[in-house]
Amino acid sequence: MDEQTNVKVKILRYNPEKDKKPFWQPYEVKIEPDATILDILNEIRWKLDGTLAFRRSCRSAICGSCAMKVNGRNILACETPMHRFKGRGLKIEPLPGFRIIKDLVVDLDSFFEKMNRVRPYLLLDKPIPDKEFIQSPEEFEEIREVCICILCGACTSSCPSVWSNEEYLGPAALLKAYRFIFDSRDDAADERIDIVNDKNGIWRCHTIFNCMEACPKHIKITEYLSRLKVKAVENSI
Amino acid sequence: MKKNFKETSKTGALAWLLQRISAIFIFAVLIYHFFVYHCISQGKAPEWADVVAKMKSPWFNLLQFLFLLAALYHGLNGVWMVVEDYIHSRFWRIFIFSIIVLVGTSLLFVGTLTLFKVANINPGV
Ligand code: FES
Repeated sequence: MDEQTNVKVKILRYNPEKDKKPFWQPYEVKIEPDATILDILNEIRWKLDGTLAFRRSCRSAICGSCAMKVNGRNILACETPMHRFKGRGLKIEPLPGFRIIKDLVVDLDSFFEKMNRVRPYLLLDKPIPDKEFIQSPEEFEEIREVCICILCGACTSSCPSVWSNEEYLGPAALLKAYRFIFDSRDDAADERIDIVNDKNGIWRCHTIFNCMEACPKHIKITEYLSRLKVKAVENSI
Repeated sequence: MKKNFKETSKTGALAWLLQRISAIFIFAVLIYHFFVYHCISQGKAPEWADVVAKMKSPWFNLLQFLFLLAALYHGLNGVWMVVEDYIHSRFWRIFIFSIIVLVGTSLLFVGTLTLFKVANINPGV
């Protein structure tokens, strides 16, 4: 086992039942140098402070529940080693732009409600085939990268347009709309474009690129949203 | 379901498209503008008389007018975008929108007037 090091961690704590407003709580953690942010949080909860609340499940960057903000960047705690922030102390806070339920746990209801608004499932006019839907590799390529979104919320939470307008659908929901609009098997592209072609839809995206920087799956979100804009204009003329 | 642009003006698609078109137009005309006013008099700095002579051409003036129109639209639409992002009170939106329209029309008036006035000057003076 590697030799352990001491890490200084500050966590934004908030318990709405007790605290007037969020405050920074310092911790000092002894841990292996190749530990992840999630390892540090576990260490704190298991050994130092059992009251710390945070979400995690798969601990392999699949479930999307451990997104949080570390040293100013939205990341997945389970896949991010602490040496990525080498030489600095760690400042861990909940995803910005959402209501805090407790400590690092935020209220994602609005996030999933917006996701539902774009109807995130195949809508068909044609009868369902007996075996499978045939989709060519070229057709799949259109949506391949977009399909790997794990709904962690890091993008939507990093978007200044979302911070300033809570009605804005946000990058994650728009990306989901893209995923079905450009899916060769789906028949409801027009209906979905009508949903995103709205003052609080795609046109609130000002290509700020925060979402792309935040995405732990490195999806080129801004690029796809730009394609969606062109599609919306094409549908209008 | 196709929407016509009348409906689309409510959604933002038309504003987005016009913002792109005006951007390309402004960029192209700006380069032409610099070329005409700063490079045309081969070596020596252009003089007032050169500018006035150039502005005698109605086609050139039409381009200048479209340039003015595009620049005002592009700039003020940009300001309006910021307002739509950050200001949610109905009162302030209407208030700022009125100011934008007022500023736009006054600058368009002053700009057009200048184009006419300069074009009517005797370049020899
Ligand atoms: S715990 Fe599942 S993505 Fe991090």
